[in-house]
Amino acid sequence: MSMTIRVEPSGSPAATGERRAGRASGASSGNPSGLATALALAPALIVLAYVFALPIVIMGSYSLRPFSGLAQAGPGWTLANYGKFFGDLFYWGIVADTLLLGAIVVAISAVIAYPPAYFLARTTSRWRSLLVFIVISPLLISVIIRNLGWIPLLGRNGLVNTVILGLGLSSEPLALLNNFTGVVIGLVHALVPFMILSLMIAIRRIGVDLEEAATGLGAGPFERFRLIVLPLSKSGLLAGCLIVFTLSISAFTTVAMMGGKRVLLMATYAEQQVRSGLNYPVGATIAMVLLALTALFSLSALRLLRERR
Amino acid sequence: MIGRLALRLAVAAVLLFLLAPLVVVVVASFSDGPVMAFPPASYTTRWYAAISDEFWQAAWRSSVLATVSMVVAVVVGTPAGITLARGEFRGKAAISAFCLSPLMVPALVLAVASYQLSVVMFDLTGTTYAGSFGGLVLGHIALTIPFVIRAVIVGHTHLDASLEEAARGLGAGPFQTLRLVTLPQLGPSILSGGVFAFAASFEDLPISLFLGGGDAPTLPVQIYSTVEFNLGADLMAISSVIIAASFAVLFILERVVGVEKVINAGKGAH
Repeated sequence: MSMTIRVEPSGSPAATGERRAGRASGASSGNPSGLATALALAPALIVLAYVFALPIVIMGSYSLRPFSGLAQAGPGWTLANYGKFFGDLFYWGIVADTLLLGAIVVAISAVIAYPPAYFLARTTSRWRSLLVFIVISPLLISVIIRNLGWIPLLGRNGLVNTVILGLGLSSEPLALLNNFTGVVIGLVHALVPFMILSLMIAIRRIGVDLEEAATGLGAGPFERFRLIVLPLSKSGLLAGCLIVFTLSISAFTTVAMMGGKRVLLMATYAEQQVRSGLNYPVGATIAMVLLALTALFSLSALRLLRERR
Repeated sequence: MIGRLALRLAVAAVLLFLLAPLVVVVVASFSDGPVMAFPPASYTTRWYAAISDEFWQAAWRSSVLATVSMVVAVVVGTPAGITLARGEFRGKAAISAFCLSPLMVPALVLAVASYQLSVVMFDLTGTTYAGSFGGLVLGHIALTIPFVIRAVIVGHTHLDASLEEAARGLGAGPFQTLRLVTLPQLGPSILSGGVFAFAASFEDLPISLFLGGGDAPTLPVQIYSTVEFNLGADLMAISSVIIAASFAVLFILERVVGVEKVINAGKGAH
């Protein structure tokens, strides 16, 4: 793996693309004609209009229809679904649990990502590419299969409980599966590679000489981390946190697998309302609120990263 | 010295955490007892012979679906990506944002939305594509196209513009330049986008859950519906086959372009 690869802090694809594209086109040989532009863009735009924009519009309109029976939406327009959503503490609880999950996953990911990120950014070991491979290859392996591997580990008779009981840390097996804890473990595992990558890129940019100077002045490893690595990798940390948070509150597969259909967060509750409850307007309303929340965090991520560059 | 040792131990612990579930799936697939008793007391290979046709068919269905969704994404996304990277035209920023925005939309939201579109289409036309392979493709390409567009846009910024100028200067027309200079240089980016597109489609649960028919599930749907009531070693065996296949692909990618590069070109969404 080459070290010369340019990497952008993740999370700002659109911004990066646009800004760089301006420069690239200045250097390239002339603009394509208007017709060529239109022809090259048309297939993508038409397809995305049908498979992406239209469905979202339809879903939005379902959220503005009254519920008129299973798998049906009544005539006329109403804001009652949103009124019910925001007027009911039950829904607020689901939103709060979803955001809490995001915050917990972000916090754990940030703590456990720093050691490998720092090590991989600094090491000159010939094992480096293998270690990077171990960190990032899970990203390309089906998340549902990664979830599956946790089930025998976290069950009542699983390895983790055997160890905990064996060490006398608890007198009875801990419930680590089919609950919120299981979802946290599964999501941290699924998302921590994003945090490691983001931090690794940021730490690589910090000059080694800074840390050497600090060592020369008598700083120990902990002080070097607190005074140099942490403050100078803040942009990478922020980018990693925003990505992990957004993906956590969006997650469906891991929540459904590790929560055993018992953990109700926004994504799983919306799924339940539409597929089992056949309440299309309410399901659409929850999905719209989830969409608005993720859009809010994604857009603030873009803005923050743009300002920091 | 103690600091270095502590760092290495922490790194080893995190890497172990990352690999653990994959190792568990493979080990549990050789278990001769109940899967939930881990580690197994004794081992057998019989589960690999016992993988049901349902699993093989689901795996095959998912592979075909991911391949079709990837090919559509490459064919549709590559010209759009190149145009968005180099052209200067009105509305470019908005078009670019629109093409990449599905990456920020939770897959579950896309799933509910596509399903509700299929319901409306059924009301309008009397036929439904939910439950058909074509319907799954329609749902999945919303997921895959933006990966290719983004990878091409990012890759295009690293192009050597002077090569294109040289080609034009030597008398190559725009299409010749595109075919002989631009596209070959963009090859690794298109590959990255394609790999992510394939992976996103192959692992998708929510869209397939909503749009797929109950009698022809994709592999994630099959796993999801099996796991709660019938978690057996045969499920671990088919999953191990997928893990092995994934690592084979990853290994080839590592040799051809480098996995780190692929990830960096394609990451950001899940």
